[in-house]
Amino acid sequence: MKVAFPYLGYDTIALKKFVELLGAESCLGPPLTARTLSLGTKYSPELICLPFKITLGNFIEALEAGADTLLMAAGARKCRFGYYHYLQENILKKIDNRHCFYAISQYTPYEFFFKKMPQIFGVTPQKVIYATWLLLHYSALIDYFRKLIRLTRAYNFYDAQKKELEALRIIENVSSFKEVQKAKKELRKIFSPIINTSNEIIRIGLVGEIYLMLEPFANYEIEKELGKLGVLVVSKRSLYRHLKHLLKLDLFDLRTISNAYKYLKDSPGGEAIKTVGEAHIFAKKNIDGIIHIYPFTCMPENIAYEALQKLARDYEIPILSISIDEHTSKTGLLTRLEAFVEVVKRKKFKG
Amino acid sequence: MKVGIPRALLYYRYGEFWKSFFKCLNVDFIISPPTNKKILDQGVKYVSSEVCLPVKIICGHLDWLKNKATHLFLPRFVELNNGLYTCPKMIGIVDIARFHFQNYFQIISPKIKNNFYWTHFKLGLKLTKNPLKVKNAIDNAQKYLNSYPKLKANGAPKILLLSHFYNIYDYYISQPIIETFKNQGFTIITKEHLDNKRLNSTKGFAKNIRWVYERELYNAFYYFLPQVQGVCNIISFGCGPDSLISEVMLNEAHIQNKPFLQLIIDEHTSATGLITRIEAFCEIIKKRLDNNVSSIIL
Repeated sequence: MKVAFPYLGYDTIALKKFVELLGAESCLGPPLTARTLSLGTKYSPELICLPFKITLGNFIEALEAGADTLLMAAGARKCRFGYYHYLQENILKKIDNRHCFYAISQYTPYEFFFKKMPQIFGVTPQKVIYATWLLLHYSALIDYFRKLIRLTRAYNFYDAQKKELEALRIIENVSSFKEVQKAKKELRKIFSPIINTSNEIIRIGLVGEIYLMLEPFANYEIEKELGKLGVLVVSKRSLYRHLKHLLKLDLFDLRTISNAYKYLKDSPGGEAIKTVGEAHIFAKKNIDGIIHIYPFTCMPENIAYEALQKLARDYEIPILSISIDEHTSKTGLLTRLEAFVEVVKRKKFKG
Repeated sequence: MKVGIPRALLYYRYGEFWKSFFKCLNVDFIISPPTNKKILDQGVKYVSSEVCLPVKIICGHLDWLKNKATHLFLPRFVELNNGLYTCPKMIGIVDIARFHFQNYFQIISPKIKNNFYWTHFKLGLKLTKNPLKVKNAIDNAQKYLNSYPKLKANGAPKILLLSHFYNIYDYYISQPIIETFKNQGFTIITKEHLDNKRLNSTKGFAKNIRWVYERELYNAFYYFLPQVQGVCNIISFGCGPDSLISEVMLNEAHIQNKPFLQLIIDEHTSATGLITRIEAFCEIIKKRLDNNVSSIIL
């Protein structure tokens, strides 16, 4: 069984290990490129949002590479994301009919542990629970790694590039709970020499839609580009937090929602409430600016956009909202980022 | 106290109910005029350019109301019968109204979450002390919720006009479309011609749809498809649910070999362009009817 799932930035490593732990081989296809996007766009409906197009292109390329089982997250609620799999299943069936497509609902943990996963992989529920527990630790490790690399990039970008490869090699070799702890120590050792804490750096909070925030291909490597400009990116979104949120283990959730309440009295679906809540926390914590990224025509994030405009006026904090689709050019995006960083810098150091 | 009700979005579904409800409770209310160019132009200024046309229109209506009413009635529809959601923008519109119009009027926005009756009952109790009067007002108003136009049967070819109520009954949006179909000699069927039970059925793909109005659209499509000669789907640009469900319906129509026209509208759409497309579409249907050819693939 060759299993494919959409790429998810650095967290792909954790998901890959999860699948391999369940006794399947992972076959994700080549890394995401312009070809992935154009393939996805070709088969997608006209008005759909960007994550649909990228994940669809991703699946097509995985099928070309020989995958026979496709896994897609699901869970129909207010956001369009929960409905992706109905259309993708139909479209992929027309392209190649020798594969199995499984939609895995995010909001039914019981079904996930005891029915769906055991049925797909032919393993016992205990094994699934154990694998999920390890997945949580792997993703925590990657979350930690992302925190370190963001900090390093802000101070010494080219050094960070070198150390990133080294760190990723360590993470890829992890295969048990004990090794996760060991890898954490090693990561700290690798990144420690270049971490110094001076105040002469600007901090920009990154909020938005989760897929765009996690997958560097989808957000045109915005974190890296900001790091190149000497900005420390602060972000609360990761696969680790999302898993914790789904398993109802995340205490930070409550804080986010209570902070969002001033602007959104009810969740409009998706991650809008988190976007607004996190932005509010950032604004209170004196973060210098906020960048909000979301797919073009994303419904919940558009509501969040309106809330963020109000928040920007209330706290006098610069907010840049970037909606991304397949026509976004990287050069245009970079110009906007540079201008925004200049604005933030001028505001911070004007005295 | 003067309550302002914007003639947009959910007004086209619950407007008659609210009118009767407020009248029974002796509350003075004012309804904004039907959408016109000026209202739309005002509305566009308030929200980002990415949101759908109905949201821009409602902002224009709120702008019209801002110096004419003391209170604004804008309920927040989160969930309707059996945990079906409305749509993110309908949930968020109250917050958008709060950001821009907080200083102009007090916003009355009861939250409707599977409790349409009780929410209005509680609202009524705030307006008057007498619970019996409130009950009467709601019972009186309720007849407007379930009234449907009867379908007139004649020999004319039928077209299924699929869209949300806030697109079809807002004549500023839909008039050129409806007029053109009528001029071409077609009878128009909308989802309102179907009874409540069929609209909310969970047969087939409809059970996967958790958006209440989309489910109704899909059920209407599924039920009427064999009876009509063509389907016209009006989508407002940026409408999330429509972008998905329309694709599902398009596939189905292809399988059954029925002409399917997707009209995507926003504030820049010109009526002339729409009319040309609809006329071409009507020609195709007529040609099919004349030759009895069923192999023309759209």
